[in-house]
Amino acid sequence: MSEGATELLPAHVSADFYLWLWFRSESLGGHFSIEDGSALEVYVDDRLALRDAGEERPTTLLTGDSPGTTPEARAAVLGGKVPKEIRFLMRREDREYHVTLRGERVGIAGAKLPTQVKTGEVAEILYDRMFVYEELHWLVSCLLRQFAAERASESWRATVVPQMRAWLGALDAGASGG
Amino acid sequence: MGILKGPLSGRRYRIVGDLPEGFTDEFIASLNTNQHREPQSPTHKGQSMGWCQVHNLLDVDFSDVNQWLYNHYALFALRVDTKTVPAKLLRAHLEKRQQAWCQANNRPKAPAAVREELREALEQEMLLKTLPRVQTMEVCWNMNDRWLFFTSDGELPNENFQKLFLRTFGLRAIPWSPLDELAATDGLPEALVSAGTTDLRGQGDLRGAGR
Repeated sequence: MSEGATELLPAHVSADFYLWLWFRSESLGGHFSIEDGSALEVYVDDRLALRDAGEERPTTLLTGDSPGTTPEARAAVLGGKVPKEIRFLMRREDREYHVTLRGERVGIAGAKLPTQVKTGEVAEILYDRMFVYEELHWLVSCLLRQFAAERASESWRATVVPQMRAWLGALDAGASGG
Repeated sequence: MGILKGPLSGRRYRIVGDLPEGFTDEFIASLNTNQHREPQSPTHKGQSMGWCQVHNLLDVDFSDVNQWLYNHYALFALRVDTKTVPAKLLRAHLEKRQQAWCQANNRPKAPAAVREELREALEQEMLLKTLPRVQTMEVCWNMNDRWLFFTSDGELPNENFQKLFLRTFGLRAIPWSPLDELAATDGLPEALVSAGTTDLRGQGDLRGAGR
């Protein structure tokens, strides 16, 4: 059976994407503009798992409110760990999604969908659920495309990486300083 | 957790191939051919696998399209039953049977052939009393846009699903996450490969280093 198209990509792309999304969600205050010009809010929710580079199993698991802002999370990245899965809150207009993005394929897990139809005809429930699932899939795809454009550009090394280091270092210094 | 309620987890696929003309009748027949069937023998050991309806895993007849086809969405489930006997319990009972045999036959040890016979008989007895472990994983197929969602992220269930889907519909289901979409963009995989890796520990980009 085919394994899709991800084998064409370097293995580190998903981890880079999770890190970028975490970094951008904090540096932009959660505010993104997606490709159709609309606004999207993205925040790290309540779960963050990191693994050692080259390993499969997560070795650092942080849960609770905003685990991405903890010194432990930044210290793990500065120590060479990479994100394996992160639970995000995404908000578009009045629709709020909670979703875990995980693994090398950027899989969707535990997605809480902002459905309108809770009871009644199966068909109505299904159309409603699939509408919001499709939107979630599209939002993740938009964010991935935005990441990929930055990641493949010259500005990644010239601008983004220094910004990320400053972001990690600021918190690390803050934590050290009490 | 699943398509109709609860948090959603699983894998997205794209479907390769065209739907046949008048596919509904053909798919009714295909789903019914590959429906889940209870094993004929109650002492059957191992897995049985096939399609069932999302609404009730005991409903395996797809003749009524109103139960599984909603406009352009097909909704059904993969049911996998697994029946095994607990190995530790089997071993413990077998030891008792062997002791009883030795006592009855005034022998210090049961010969290998007898041990095997006792084990087989015991396993059959235990299988008769054992209920299978039943798993269902739902499938929602958007036939207009040629994608589907399968509510499991496990490697083995996904392999089983792909095989049974191909056998049932004659169409290939190819894993298609947002990352696969990205990888299918012209020139992007090469650009990301040549961009190298990122090391935030202060060494700069390390071209060629793997993660």
